[in-house]
Amino acid sequence: MYVYRIMLFLVFGGYLLSPFLMSGWGNPEIAWYRPFLIWGGLIALSVWLEQKRKLDER
Amino acid sequence: MSAELTAIILLGLGYLALLFGCGIAVERGWISTRITRHPAVYTLSLGVYASAWAVYGSVEFAANAGFGYLAYYLGAAGAFLLAPVLLVPIQRITRTYQLASLADLFAFRFRTRWAGTIVTLVSVLAVLPLLGIQVKTLSEAINALTGTTAGSSVALLFCLVIAAFALIFGARHSNLRARHNTLLAAIAFESLVKLGVMLALGAVALWGVFDGPQQLQQWLSGDGLVLTRQTPTLDPAHWRTLLLLFFTAAFMMPHLFHITFAENLSRHTLLQASWALPLFLLLMALPVPLIWWAAQKTAAAPISVTAYAAFIMSEHSVVGALAFIGGLAAASGTMIMVALALSGMVLNHIVLVAHPPEARPDLYGWLRWLRRGLIVTVVIGGWLFHATVGSHHDLRALGLAAFVGMAQCLPGMLALLYWPGANRNGLVVGLLAGIAVWLWGLWLPLFLPLPTLWLPLPGEPIWYQVTLVSLAANILALIGLSLFTRTSEGERSAAEACSVDAVIRSKRLPLEAATVADFSAQLAEALGDDVAGREVNRALQALNLPPQERRPYALRRLRDRIQANLSGLMGPSVARDIVDRYLPYRHDDAPVTDDIHFVESRLEAYRSRLTGLARELDGLRRHHRQTLANLPVGLCVFGDDDELVMWNRALAELSGISGESVVGAHRDSLAAPWPTLLQSALSSPSVTLYKQAAHLHGRDYFLTLHTADLSGDDSRGGRVVMIEDHTEMKWLENELVHAARLASIGQLAAGVAHEIGNPITGISSLAQNLRYDTDDPVLLETADQIQTLTERVTRIVSSLVEFTHGGRHAATLPRSPVTLGRISEEALHLLHLARTREAVTFSNTCPPDVVVRGDAQRLIQVMLNLLGNARDACPPQGKVTISAGTQGQQAWWRVTDNGRGIAPDVRDRLFEPFATTKPAGEGTGLGLSLAYQIVNEHQGSIDVASPPPGHSRGTAMTLWLPLYHPDKQQDDPPPHAEDSDC
Repeated sequence: MYVYRIMLFLVFGGYLLSPFLMSGWGNPEIAWYRPFLIWGGLIALSVWLEQKRKLDER
Repeated sequence: MSAELTAIILLGLGYLALLFGCGIAVERGWISTRITRHPAVYTLSLGVYASAWAVYGSVEFAANAGFGYLAYYLGAAGAFLLAPVLLVPIQRITRTYQLASLADLFAFRFRTRWAGTIVTLVSVLAVLPLLGIQVKTLSEAINALTGTTAGSSVALLFCLVIAAFALIFGARHSNLRARHNTLLAAIAFESLVKLGVMLALGAVALWGVFDGPQQLQQWLSGDGLVLTRQTPTLDPAHWRTLLLLFFTAAFMMPHLFHITFAENLSRHTLLQASWALPLFLLLMALPVPLIWWAAQKTAAAPISVTAYAAFIMSEHSVVGALAFIGGLAAASGTMIMVALALSGMVLNHIVLVAHPPEARPDLYGWLRWLRRGLIVTVVIGGWLFHATVGSHHDLRALGLAAFVGMAQCLPGMLALLYWPGANRNGLVVGLLAGIAVWLWGLWLPLFLPLPTLWLPLPGEPIWYQVTLVSLAANILALIGLSLFTRTSEGERSAAEACSVDAVIRSKRLPLEAATVADFSAQLAEALGDDVAGREVNRALQALNLPPQERRPYALRRLRDRIQANLSGLMGPSVARDIVDRYLPYRHDDAPVTDDIHFVESRLEAYRSRLTGLARELDGLRRHHRQTLANLPVGLCVFGDDDELVMWNRALAELSGISGESVVGAHRDSLAAPWPTLLQSALSSPSVTLYKQAAHLHGRDYFLTLHTADLSGDDSRGGRVVMIEDHTEMKWLENELVHAARLASIGQLAAGVAHEIGNPITGISSLAQNLRYDTDDPVLLETADQIQTLTERVTRIVSSLVEFTHGGRHAATLPRSPVTLGRISEEALHLLHLARTREAVTFSNTCPPDVVVRGDAQRLIQVMLNLLGNARDACPPQGKVTISAGTQGQQAWWRVTDNGRGIAPDVRDRLFEPFATTKPAGEGTGLGLSLAYQIVNEHQGSIDVASPPPGHSRGTAMTLWLPLYHPDKQQDDPPPHAEDSDC
């Protein structure tokens, strides 16, 4: 359950801060793929938390 | 018809034929079920979320809002990343109560068919623009590729083929929750096609148009900078609102709800999808800006129809065909799943509510045909919407109209999960308020111009304001009315079943139906004999219960399961009506108590989800339960309604009845003698009933029952009964009483013996005097015999006294040689003095050379007892034989009679003192016990054969005595003085 709270915090935190993702469009100083990197990082974190949850429930 | 149009039609039909092929391959088992049931297939089927909007609409969105297009993907990704706290609880409810749609869920939770009907209506209205988008993109893509205006007609053709696919592979089961492996595999295949197409288009853009990432970055910093900077930026508030809309759509759109919850295999699969679907969406979203930038770079002039930029970025026909196939795959998947999900909702919440099913002979078939008709209606409805309305609006307007509509169900869903206080009044009014604003602000304007709604944020886009106002009205009405209006009992219990953190206190209500047969008979009134029987059997199998089940607890579970199964068939409203009407609870004066067994079962099932204090408390509960279960004393607990709550292991062993088979049963339905026994304990004014006789497993038991009342302030009531097996103690008590009786008789006998001793001594003295006073040989012989007999009486008395003192002779083991033939004669002689039963013939066949070591007098006493018993057992003219012989180091000495023999029940206590079968006054019951004691003192033993081998009647008593060895006498102590008498 603690694992779920981490995810809850991340998703709602991401929801509030997500407008910054849009700043990369039309800005040559920011790599166009930055939003996808952040998104990929979130998925990797989710996979890790899912593995942790499985271990917790054993 | 132009060549391009023909090619596109063939391409589209070819793809759909491939889809059919995929379905047939799964159906026929050409593809292993290991693949079709793999969690990855489920995740890919969830990719149906990526509709034609993902292929075309996103490009249009990117052209108009830059990275704002990501809201479509990130909203859905957020919903699935929150699967453990958001989707898994919904999955638990839908799986437990067999709910197949959002309308089912709302109707179940808020206990009103209006909730289901309103949600169905809003779903139909919201989904129509979504279907319109699918048809519109198909139609416009065909037009763009062929340069004709035949797109709409060709789209109709494709729609009919898609409807046929949905009919063939998706409407075979009447149960809406039946998993469609074929359909899921086909939708997963479509997701793979979409993903492949998007990645291929992205690759073409990156390497075909830009020559790689570096050149792309150069273009973005150079020529492209002007173009990208011209793209409007999405306001953060709009962005967040869009995220919320897409977040809602990801699991509440009818088709997505259906795949996420009704087609799902397990919680584990859903949790796996919580990261796998966001990954899928990431890969789908990645090529979108590349396609748009590539199209911008390629196009000579500003692009007017931005949605179809993929057709512009390359002149190669393969690229166009790929983009078309991607769009067709996305549109067809969405249309198939929307048609299936929406048909079920309309069937359950509009058609069946308006026309409840009666006892039809073929209910399942009737439901299937209704559903098929609705599937075709939905698909054709989508095409009609496009043809009449959709073609006049852009993808964004249609999409927002759909997503804002579905978002009206979000407050109700959150209340369903996290606020047990919400009630139907709040939900219905909230939904109506929100829907009214949405219809007036976004949906109806698609059809006709309406006066602008008063909106509080002038200057903001209409969709944004309508979203805020409709949701605000919805939420305020939901909260306000829920707080200030009454919530029904049924709603409250459903709320507890649905809420994530609710305290579930299921009640034990008695059912009118007392057997499984009653269930079938009562349900048959509503469903007909055939369907009722099948549904009852299905529920029995699911619960693993036998058809003979009678336990109230099991029957309540059976009722719940039947309701859940019927809910999967015809929706929760109709199912509830049928079950409430035909399988009602009995409303009598019986106390209603909490169903502790059910609560425990649920706690066990959800144990892994408990955390913190709840987990600690559960651990404590399990510890206490284990303590009671493993108690070495029998224990059972009854509720106030006499339903058995606990039956521990020791009691299961004692009674031979397993706890699993009786927990939940009424006390009166237990096997005999338990109902009587427990009733007497529970109705007794005393808390303990000592040593109650009970016949169990073919023998008698003595059980002590202690009872205690469980009532108290925080208690759920009931009585506990502790049962101790005191059978052994009772036996010991009986033995003790018997021994005490023997001891008192022994003391009495010793006193009597002492009193007899004095007159006997007098008689002996007088006999001796007689010898001195006469020379008459007859008198002298008489005096001798008197002395002999008085000596014998003295010995008997002495033996009796010794017996009462127990084993005194063991220390003075006799050592003299005794000839068995001789003492047999002596015994016969003495026996003849009694002069009774003259008709019995005695014969002594003992050889003269059988000599044993022992006390002659005591052995004569043994023989006298045996002969006396043999004589008494013989009929007139009976025959008693004394025989002897040797075997090894022992001699056998046998008395055989042809009397009535010894009964088996007497044989076990033959040598016990005072055990006699003779009438009162004829025997003391001490003879054989004395004989046994004497033989024992001689280190011998007695065998009893009745009848003897080779005889049909009679008894043979065989004494085994150690043989006398003269050589060994040298080592022995001197023989006892009186041994030489014989």
